[in-house]
Amino acid sequence: MSAVIEQPASTKHVIDERSFTHAAGLATGPVSVEPYRSPEFFELERERVFKRAWLCVGRVEQLPQVNGYFTKDIEIWKASVLVTRDKHDRVRAFHNVCSHRGNLVVNQSCGVAERLVCRYHNWQYRNDGELIGVPDQKHFFDLDKKTCGLTPISCEVWEGFIFLNHQRQPEVSLAEFLGPFGSRYAGIPYFNLDETIVIQADFKANWKLIADAFAEPYHVPSLHPATLAPGFAHPEENRYARPLSAMAHGIHRHFSAYGNPHYVPAPTSKVEALVYVQDTGGVLGGDDSSNAAALTAHPAINPTKDPCWSADVTWIFPNFNIDYSTGGFWTHEFWPVAHDRTHWTLKIYIPKTMSIRHRLQLEHYACRWAEVVLEDVTNCERIQRGLESGAKDTMILQDAEMLIRHSLHVLDKWVKADRVADALR
Amino acid sequence: MTAASLSLPPGYEELEAFVPYWALDSNDQRRAARSTATMADIQRFYDAIVARAEQAIVHCEQFTLGQMPPASERLFKLLLAMNHAAIAVEMHGEPRAHESTWPSAVRITQGPWPHGGRI
Repeated sequence: MSAVIEQPASTKHVIDERSFTHAAGLATGPVSVEPYRSPEFFELERERVFKRAWLCVGRVEQLPQVNGYFTKDIEIWKASVLVTRDKHDRVRAFHNVCSHRGNLVVNQSCGVAERLVCRYHNWQYRNDGELIGVPDQKHFFDLDKKTCGLTPISCEVWEGFIFLNHQRQPEVSLAEFLGPFGSRYAGIPYFNLDETIVIQADFKANWKLIADAFAEPYHVPSLHPATLAPGFAHPEENRYARPLSAMAHGIHRHFSAYGNPHYVPAPTSKVEALVYVQDTGGVLGGDDSSNAAALTAHPAINPTKDPCWSADVTWIFPNFNIDYSTGGFWTHEFWPVAHDRTHWTLKIYIPKTMSIRHRLQLEHYACRWAEVVLEDVTNCERIQRGLESGAKDTMILQDAEMLIRHSLHVLDKWVKADRVADALR
Repeated sequence: MTAASLSLPPGYEELEAFVPYWALDSNDQRRAARSTATMADIQRFYDAIVARAEQAIVHCEQFTLGQMPPASERLFKLLLAMNHAAIAVEMHGEPRAHESTWPSAVRITQGPWPHGGRI
């Protein structure tokens, strides 16, 4: 006789109860919270993780034409970087720093220019980094312009995503860094690249707290009861939004999110019902069935091919997510600023506005997303305060939180390994 | 009512009172307006705009996106703001997410075209 009242199992949606954590070869004990609150650990992350890993800084569409450029502040490097498309159509990256007196050369966030001029003394650089003009050059002493170009940064492109590496000579290539993830997720169709909704937040919490928030759907029913839970959980069939799959791919990882196939806006949700176009479920974005079919056919996407699928969250170590859904894809950049400060950029790729109704749907989509972000940011700032109090030295992770455990496991390897090759093992 | 105070197309006079607060240029401004309004004000706007939404959409559909006459464009901006009011009325039952902090660290720095805005 058990004191526990057993609920009869649902016959509608059978949740696969294999352990994601065991399958990934991870331990199951509590994990340390020091990586979230220690300034010393943060400095280790800066030197051993962020200055050795390949970091995604954008997509090739941000450089739509030859001579296009964009700049980006990477605070964890204390650097401003310049990414260009040169006349040979190569994507290049440089420190945005003048060779003369160290000023920042470009102060625009993006543009089109073959020549880039530092406004301090008008030193001119070509967008391939060459120094091509020095006013009053004859009064310099033995100046060799060939050796005074912009300082290059290692730059490689995977599937349209631009990655940089802080090491002058990266110990591993981007392909080696991406490992099994890079081959498994190659060839996915990226659609709706026309425009983006961008949501940003600068807040008081460790960067991993917000990365962790997107690594597990267990919190969706409780933290996002109105914004997400109706679409991503079900009171009987999947009450705690258990992932359909969750796997490690080398140092990277993914989980597949459940989507409530019965979801329709509540009868009282007049605006949501008025503006939404929905073909294949999922509240995040309008669906386009032909694009969705090509995406869902890819073996990496929803690998168990569960019919109750809504989205895949992929987490490329250390700080980048590419998330795929039938409505399109979005990316997260979680940029550390200090051990308790983060800059987060969410970019949601959307189609060109096609009609009045479509525009209204996109507005609803953007403001639903911003509300989800608000819920998560508010929550992360609270967790940071909780952890900094010293009340707890560990946190307890369940199986659906496997990605967080894997992240900490990989992070630990990177801060301890003297060689990147060892960190990749 | 003077001509200057009639900023919407004829037939939408009952929405006139909502124009100064809700007809805004960017997604982030509309979100801030909703997040800082009282629930009673949000509900009043929601009820008024939802009652006319279908007609207003049909009205706006006469024009090419981004090229509406000013009065129709203002009406369209009220329709855009309707989505934000719906977040409060249909999702939270309060102006913004429960126990969320405001002023917020969150910004919509780029919204959909047109009238999405860019910070």
